[in-house]
Amino acid sequence: FRKTHLSGFFSAGIHSKLTKDGSLIFQSKSTDIHQNLALEDWIETNVDLTNRRLFLLWRSHAAVVIGRHQNPWAECDLGAMWRAGVPLARRRSGGGTVYHDMGNLNLTFFSCRKLYDRQRNLKVVTEALRRARPELDVRATERLDIVLNGKYKISGSASRLSRKASYHHCTLLHSADGSALQSVLRPSTPGIHSNATPSVVSSVTNLTDHAPSLTWEELTQALSNLSYAPYFGLSSPLSLLDPSDESLFPGIGCMASELRSWDWTFGKTPKFTIETELSLSDDLTLEHTTAQLHIELKNGLISSIVITVQDQWLQQTLINELCDVLTGERFCPHRVAAAVSTLIKSEQDETQRRLHKLSNTVISVMG
Amino acid sequence: MLSRSRCLTRNLGRSLSVIRQGNKVFSRQATAALSTSHGVIYNKSLNSQPRSSVFQIQYFRTSAAYRDDVVTVKTPAFAESVTEGDVRWEKAVGDTVTEDEVVCEIETDKTSVQVPSPAAGVIEELLVPDGGKVEGGTPLFKLRKGAGAPKAAEAPKVEAPPTASPPPPPSPTSPPPSIVGPIPTTMPPVPPVPAHAMAAKPVSAIKPTPAPAAPVAQTEGVVKGARTESRVKMNRMRLRIAQRLKEAQNTCAMLTTFNEVDMSNISEMRKSYKDAFLKKHNIKLGFMSAFVKAAAYALSDQPAVNAVIDDTTKEIVYRDYVDISVAVATPKGLVVPVIRNVEGMNFADIEKAINLLGEKARKNELAVEDMDGGTFTISNGGVFGSMFGTPIINPPQSAILGMHGIFDRPVAIGGKVEIRPMMYVALTYDHRLIDGREAVTFLRKIKSVVEDPRVLLLDM
Repeated sequence: FRKTHLSGFFSAGIHSKLTKDGSLIFQSKSTDIHQNLALEDWIETNVDLTNRRLFLLWRSHAAVVIGRHQNPWAECDLGAMWRAGVPLARRRSGGGTVYHDMGNLNLTFFSCRKLYDRQRNLKVVTEALRRARPELDVRATERLDIVLNGKYKISGSASRLSRKASYHHCTLLHSADGSALQSVLRPSTPGIHSNATPSVVSSVTNLTDHAPSLTWEELTQALSNLSYAPYFGLSSPLSLLDPSDESLFPGIGCMASELRSWDWTFGKTPKFTIETELSLSDDLTLEHTTAQLHIELKNGLISSIVITVQDQWLQQTLINELCDVLTGERFCPHRVAAAVSTLIKSEQDETQRRLHKLSNTVISVMG
Repeated sequence: MLSRSRCLTRNLGRSLSVIRQGNKVFSRQATAALSTSHGVIYNKSLNSQPRSSVFQIQYFRTSAAYRDDVVTVKTPAFAESVTEGDVRWEKAVGDTVTEDEVVCEIETDKTSVQVPSPAAGVIEELLVPDGGKVEGGTPLFKLRKGAGAPKAAEAPKVEAPPTASPPPPPSPTSPPPSIVGPIPTTMPPVPPVPAHAMAAKPVSAIKPTPAPAAPVAQTEGVVKGARTESRVKMNRMRLRIAQRLKEAQNTCAMLTTFNEVDMSNISEMRKSYKDAFLKKHNIKLGFMSAFVKAAAYALSDQPAVNAVIDDTTKEIVYRDYVDISVAVATPKGLVVPVIRNVEGMNFADIEKAINLLGEKARKNELAVEDMDGGTFTISNGGVFGSMFGTPIINPPQSAILGMHGIFDRPVAIGGKVEIRPMMYVALTYDHRLIDGREAVTFLRKIKSVVEDPRVLLLDM
């Protein structure tokens, strides 16, 4: 990030919105996950939060968001996501994996480090919900989740503490697509051994499953109407922000592209290994065998790969060549396919067939 | 050499004036500068200094050049009575950091906390492994304070000049074209499959493809006149490509026939229809589709060019389908995405197929199958400005069409000289299978289709 000076960069637009003391409530116009995450980062980096609290509401089209130190291959099914056109984003705060869509409301509480208090923030949410629907039993847990009726999770939290500022954001399941959620939030491939932050799986439910009459507008209204919340001061009107407006948020485009880059999304994965067994069969002769696959990955790149095939199904020297070609590549099916195609082309008949089969099987491990 | 001494004298002037001021800190660092520089120039000047300064210099000359403090940075206290977290390293041992730069992040209870460096320096040791657990107060890492790289604002940058060989540039930029030939090193990782002229190159051009940019960049960094060599081992992929190309050359009786194509009609057709085409099909109309279609038409007409010799069984394999590979250069080598069954496609279908391949590549769905096989290859050297050249056959095929650049040339039309946009095309073929007459007829057919697409309608 580039630290920018407050005075130099605030345009008249934002400045006039900032009241002298107390809070500011914003809603993002964007439904692009990377733009919204970049907006959070921009506010945290560029706004002087010493005497201010900011509250941001936003939502995005279908996307999977993993925590800063998580392993995407372990947390979500990348192949399923690619087929469904669901993008992956890595946020800068810690915590676990969430599924975002237009039925999932996101709330971000910005404050300086001294005033960082997540339980207080969640209280704002639970009180707003209780006001809107007093019959719902919503409670914040010690783990900073919000549970409905004592057992279903409707909100999870994550936060980030930087040198001066902090933010705490949480989700709120209003009417998310439950089946889509379940289909993508599973590992891409078996056999992953990693010390990345794991997600804690919980049963979830939507607010609308228990209070069908609660509309999106009513929910956002209840949350932004914080006049009753003593720690938020006077209520201020909900302002709409456009995160794609570079004049209001100079440098935000750059932040968004960094978040979209492969090096951030996948390259920031902590070191991990994959240890699994492959089942191989020759398409023509139907000769069957198994192989042991051991891959070590660092920064999303294959740092070492060892394949041991049983029964002399394929020459070991050729297998080693395949491993050589794959070493140093991104753990990404496309890149790998380009690399191996030349190797395969130079073989013939049975060797080619089997090598092709082995490559495809290895590639399928990548999600 | 001149610039070096100029720099030194400038620094010397600065350090001398600083010594005169008598400021201890500055003089210590200035002395550091003096002590690491060449002795000759300074000795003379030193003698001319007032005695007090000379004493100061003599006193400090024996001390170390830089302040050598090593601090141990501890885990900051966590917020909200959280007790422990996991460390995730951003920097490694040996990395230089500035004050306040993030060295690691600690993840505690779904919160990611940044740990900045207390001062500028070099990371000496990481005391906790990546992912290890820490509590508030646990020692995290050791930082050696002071400038690891010339970053101290006060001391003049005298570390750089005295070193005989300047360090290689921190970020090797792409080497100049003169060294590596017309291969754009900024090629995107995905084989770019635009609707118009493909960013491809003839297989023959693979050989000068740069090995990793590093060794070339190193030659950039070395001072002019230093005649060093650097040896890079050929990687397996390159060895294999080299082997295959030589095998192809040894088995095939390769030769090339040329022709030139008048691009005026096709350019004009493209100009007239490109907007309407974009509107209807939602993709751009390029030149590639014309050549692909022309090749498919000619291949159906001359089946020998679409066939291949099977050396093991000594048979000629004729194929009734036409799969055209378009050669594309990627950082990892040549890939040849294939358009299948081109014989039944029209221009719009071909453009869509090319577009689809590009989409698949972008969405990471391109499989090994998509990039292999093919009965004929087209390669476009024209994108790089090539005028004329001999492509090399991509085994196990029998022929390859090379497209070159379109240049305005004076040609004789009806007894008069006119300027027309002309392109040279080359067909390299396996003479064991295809004889001269067939090859020339084939190429002429491609020429006639591209020069006048109506030939396709009339089946001429």
